[in-house]
Amino acid sequence: MKYAALLLPLLFLAVFAVALIKRVKLYDCFTEGVKGAVPLVLSLFPYLASVLILAELFEQSGVSAALTQALSPVFSFLGIPPEIGKLVLIKPFSGSGATALLAEVLHTYGADSYIGKCASVAFSSSETVFFISAVYFAGSKKNLAKPVVISLLANFFSLILGCFLCRVL
Amino acid sequence: MNVIFAAVMLGACAVFLFTDPEGFLPAMLAGGEKAAHVCLALLASYCVWLGFFRVLEATGLAKKLSAALYPAARRLFRSGDREALGAACENIAANLLGLPGAPTPLGIAATKKFLAAKNGYAAEMLFVLNATSLQLLPTTAIALRAAAGSASPAAVLLPTLLASACSTLAGVALLALFSRPRPCGRRARSRTKEQPA
Repeated sequence: MKYAALLLPLLFLAVFAVALIKRVKLYDCFTEGVKGAVPLVLSLFPYLASVLILAELFEQSGVSAALTQALSPVFSFLGIPPEIGKLVLIKPFSGSGATALLAEVLHTYGADSYIGKCASVAFSSSETVFFISAVYFAGSKKNLAKPVVISLLANFFSLILGCFLCRVL
Repeated sequence: MNVIFAAVMLGACAVFLFTDPEGFLPAMLAGGEKAAHVCLALLASYCVWLGFFRVLEATGLAKKLSAALYPAARRLFRSGDREALGAACENIAANLLGLPGAPTPLGIAATKKFLAAKNGYAAEMLFVLNATSLQLLPTTAIALRAAAGSASPAAVLLPTLLASACSTLAGVALLALFSRPRPCGRRARSRTKEQPA
């Protein structure tokens, strides 16, 4: 796993070296790119704020806990440990929330336990669907029902498969 | 999104009303605070990546990458827009490599271009790819497992890879399947667009 950390410095080194060979004005060019950062973040901010406020309400109101409880028979039936239900429910909204929950599950049940493994796979094989939809389509009036439902379904499918694989492998 | 927002919002409000009316505003404010934090974190990573991408563009390497992937990308996204496809390919590459924060600005740029060209299908496809996880190395989970004292933090690598590969394939297949009724019209439109280019 240590080699993975080499990737970033190597990538930057390679690209900057090629840039120098091609006589690109590095400083001017880099600065030109950074210019776009503030407008980009400003354009995302309202959507991010709405989704994250929603995520916080969802978690703190106890709605997510109640849903987890209600869904736990379904989860058990599908071979998903109910202990990771909350993680599964929060992941589409907030990556940082899911990260915190994963750390908690790993701490409580042990990283090498079946539950810990399932939680790790569930965390990594899915994505923050609502977060991404808010950011990518910020400001567009497009109807996102179809792609969002498809993504959620695909992620749920991978969750079932991941838990099954954790049992078999 | 409007439906989900309304449903969760009303549900949470009702629950707070009965269980913990005083906790309602602090919970929302906590969400707002998180948004501010996330925006700062995003700003930090966009500064780095947007600068880097600009240099990458200036070297001409980005063009070579997208040219290599162009035939496959054209089919996947049903689009002939070279610039948008280039950004989409870079977005996918950044996702696969797991460069934190890098895919988002590229994905936004590609989505904007796809939507401007009225190619909703391509924008949806890019979204589904991003929303079903493309990462090859689950770095966050591995780091957290190591921190929790796992004997082999990377033991989840294989099931994670298989599961996320399946979810991505399923997502792409489902979207292609449910968007089928109109491919003729779309293809005809993209063809007329390709001619002047």
